[in-house]
Amino acid sequence: MMRLRRLQTVVVCVLALGLVLMTGSAMESLHAQSPTVVRYWLWLDDPTEPMFDQLVKEFNATHSGVRVEYQLVPLSEYHDKLVTALAAGSGPDAGRFKDWWLGEFVKPNALEPLANSISKWSGRGDVIENLWETGKITAAGPVYMMPHQFITFYLYYRKDWFSQAGLKPPATFEEFLTAAKKLTDPAKNQYGFGLRGGAGGQDQWLAFMVAGGARLVDAQGKIIVNNADGVKANQWYIDLFRVHKVAPPSAPTDAYAQVLGAFQSDNTAMFAHHVGSSVLVTQKLGAANVGVISIPAADPKKPATMATMAGNVVFAASKQKEAAFTFISWLSETAPMDKWSGSRQGQLPVLKSVAKLPRYTENIFFKVSLDGANYAIAWPPLPGVGYVSAQAWQANMQRALLGQISSKDMLDEIAKALQR
Amino acid sequence: MRSPRRYSAKASRGNGRGRRWLLPLFLLSPALVLLLGIVAYPIARAIWLSFHRLEILRPDLSQYVGLDNYRALLQDSVMRIALQNSAVWVAGVVLFQLLGGLVGALILNQRFPGRAVVRGLALIPWATPSVLVALMWTWMLDGNYGLINDLLVKVGILSRFQPWLAQPWSALPAVILADVWQGIPFFAVMLLAALQAIPEDLFEAARIDGASPWRVFRHVTLPLLLPTILITTMLRMIWTANYMDLIMIMTGGGPGYSSLTIPLHAYYTAYKRLDFGYGSTIAIVQVAILAGAIVFYLRQLRRNEVMVQ
Amino acid sequence: MSRRPLRRLFVAVKLWLPLGAWLTFVLAPYAWMFITSIKPPEELYTKSVRYWPSQPTLEGYRLLVETTPFLTYMRNSGIVATSTCIIALAVAMAAAYCFSRLSFRGKGVLLFGFLITQLFPSVLLVLPLFLIMRSLGILNTPPALILAHSTFAVPFSTWMLTGFFNAIPRELDEAATIDGCSRLQTFRYVLLPLSAPGVAAALTYIFIYSWNEFIYALTFTADLRARTLPVGLQTFMGEFIIRWDLLTAGGVITALPIVFFFMLVQRQLIAGLTAGAVKG
Repeated sequence: MMRLRRLQTVVVCVLALGLVLMTGSAMESLHAQSPTVVRYWLWLDDPTEPMFDQLVKEFNATHSGVRVEYQLVPLSEYHDKLVTALAAGSGPDAGRFKDWWLGEFVKPNALEPLANSISKWSGRGDVIENLWETGKITAAGPVYMMPHQFITFYLYYRKDWFSQAGLKPPATFEEFLTAAKKLTDPAKNQYGFGLRGGAGGQDQWLAFMVAGGARLVDAQGKIIVNNADGVKANQWYIDLFRVHKVAPPSAPTDAYAQVLGAFQSDNTAMFAHHVGSSVLVTQKLGAANVGVISIPAADPKKPATMATMAGNVVFAASKQKEAAFTFISWLSETAPMDKWSGSRQGQLPVLKSVAKLPRYTENIFFKVSLDGANYAIAWPPLPGVGYVSAQAWQANMQRALLGQISSKDMLDEIAKALQR
Repeated sequence: MRSPRRYSAKASRGNGRGRRWLLPLFLLSPALVLLLGIVAYPIARAIWLSFHRLEILRPDLSQYVGLDNYRALLQDSVMRIALQNSAVWVAGVVLFQLLGGLVGALILNQRFPGRAVVRGLALIPWATPSVLVALMWTWMLDGNYGLINDLLVKVGILSRFQPWLAQPWSALPAVILADVWQGIPFFAVMLLAALQAIPEDLFEAARIDGASPWRVFRHVTLPLLLPTILITTMLRMIWTANYMDLIMIMTGGGPGYSSLTIPLHAYYTAYKRLDFGYGSTIAIVQVAILAGAIVFYLRQLRRNEVMVQ
Repeated sequence: MSRRPLRRLFVAVKLWLPLGAWLTFVLAPYAWMFITSIKPPEELYTKSVRYWPSQPTLEGYRLLVETTPFLTYMRNSGIVATSTCIIALAVAMAAAYCFSRLSFRGKGVLLFGFLITQLFPSVLLVLPLFLIMRSLGILNTPPALILAHSTFAVPFSTWMLTGFFNAIPRELDEAATIDGCSRLQTFRYVLLPLSAPGVAAALTYIFIYSWNEFIYALTFTADLRARTLPVGLQTFMGEFIIRWDLLTAGGVITALPIVFFFMLVQRQLIAGLTAGAVKG
């Protein structure tokens, strides 16, 4: 009797132990299976388009160890919300990013250098070579931002008005001014060029500045925007409004909606922008009436335009850096890249494989943009660029356009702001 | 119902001193908890920030700089412009909102068919989200295709389209117009509520005495509305001083600095220049100015025995 | 017999003319927003201003409801605004009764203190408030917004209601007390009904403030669990694409619940409510 009871006890204990062990290992494997959550922030141009949602679902389905949760933030609030969240220690793991902000986020070490991860990434050879520079602070330093979508500035013009006036699309500053003057008629509320002095106008201003021979920084990274070349190019730009009056009187505070609206409602003959608006512009005016050409240059032998990059970054405070990099590098692979660039959110693809697709080579807007990429100049990665692009440029450009300060004064202020 | 004797007995007990603060404390505690708990810390932090220079994303690198930020403020020429603009902004907005609201309240107080619907509709400007108020007014004021220009030219008041938001002298007034539009219903509702408290027989008496509508307004309505007007105006001035949404979207503070107000200046400094220390300083200076104005205002109110009895 | 036309003229001048003019000013921009919302995209920007589309369309509204989470935003806004109304009003009424009917030391200072919170621009309070909400664990839920909104609505509502309570003579309180009412009953049966206009006004203010509040809604919410209308509307503005159709349709609809709310509440704004109160 005793022996049987003891046997029963032993069996029960062994079973219990076995159960505990099994449970333990089951829990362990469960833990190993629960995916790493990567929190990703972005802005989208058109939130009704399901493209990004589909991309995330696809990624989550094909990467079992990682799950991406994204938050959509309106672009106008993106920077501020990011600053607040990071300052509070609640930032995302990765996020979409603009080259304007690179300097001011790298300075306090808020972004993770990606050099190591990139060297192990299979897709790195497919990225257009010089676009890596947009994510670097110094030429020899590490890359902080994965290139994703970029744009170069070009010039839209009204083909119908140009042919009616017997003008050919302008290739030099001189031709540009002549055409603008010819097509300006204040009595009919019609102007040659939709100069953008309001919010966001700093990009097209930079395009004309570099096309005019000015540079923000020299090869060593020293700020030279307020040198003689800069003052001259800036003065030319200001004179378009003040002296030649080829821009509408509302130009100083015109932002994107206004310059686009003016072009669409037959108020202006030309305006500078990029491929992001090509669909909107041709939709309203018809492809036959809209022409596109590279930004004219002061010296036709030295063309230049401006480029800006929207890329992806991993934040230094993230605890899931590897998983985060897996996601953002996946976004820059051929198929996801093509899907993004081909959607309504699309801008220029950064991959050689995608840029070769007929969808892009056969579209005149993409073609002119990609041609411009060869000599495009971006904002330098200085910490003050964020401030300049958000307020300092606007306030000073407007004062210069209104004659309150001189071209040199304006550039001095900008030089000061760039150093922050 | 408690027996009357018990109540008066309690009141005359003379325990007053000891028990007197119990009820006020109990009634006020939710409000105090909310205010102290939720708002005291942010305010204290803002004050603390103004004495430091810091990189917001590296709080460990913050440096105590004492009054340096305040000294810098005294030399800030942009601040001087912002102060002026803020004064014009607050005065212009509140004055016209008050007038428009007063007219609206008087109209909506009368009896006419469909009054309920009209009263509902009257709230629309206040009910419209600020971003749309700003975008619609920007569109209407546009210098190339805006309908205000179109109408003014068609009617003959203007000969050419005016770029209202691009001229230094008209930019701030244009935004003031938009904010006046947005805020009139607020005053209309507050004054309408106050109008209900005026006994009908006072109007009757004045009418019997043969007073004209204007005299009734001036000698009966206005004096009795005055307390509400004074309080609502004071509060509205405080909010308007801090309201920057419309300006930010419509002009961004431009052209130049001609429509830059103090809170906008503080915002740009903190979030765009990433200088939270100096940005807090700017905000605190405005707080001090407003606080001073309120103290003065309250003294006047007390003199007229309006609020504190 | 010449009285009638004269009277009509009098009414016209006193009522219909001012009403028409005032209402036109008040409704015109909203009407423009509505017109924009029914314009097809080709008619948005035309050389000469188009006052009415040649082909009005409700496509914007359809897309708004079917392709965006607009209704979810509206639901969240409704929850936040209604809850804020209830909480803020209750707190404010208690405080206002206190300031009006009780005397204690430091009353003036406290009243003034209530205002201090309003003196700061919200952008500078956002970061510390974010930290508080996070430590309370309520980020990205309606309670975060309800709390933030209540905190900012209470001071004004308190001031307003204090003023309205002050306008009700104390003799009425005393009369009620003599009749055997406790403080609570006096409040419920005397003060509250007589200050109905003030309560209505305070409710309107709280609701509208909460419904249209943006900066805290933006910072404390991350997704559809708590995102409200103002933030949702902002997402319709991208870098280069502005969905005017969705924006304006959204704007038109967002204002309407408040209009209906006020149409109900304004019943309290009837003259004569307090008339004869002292005499009786």
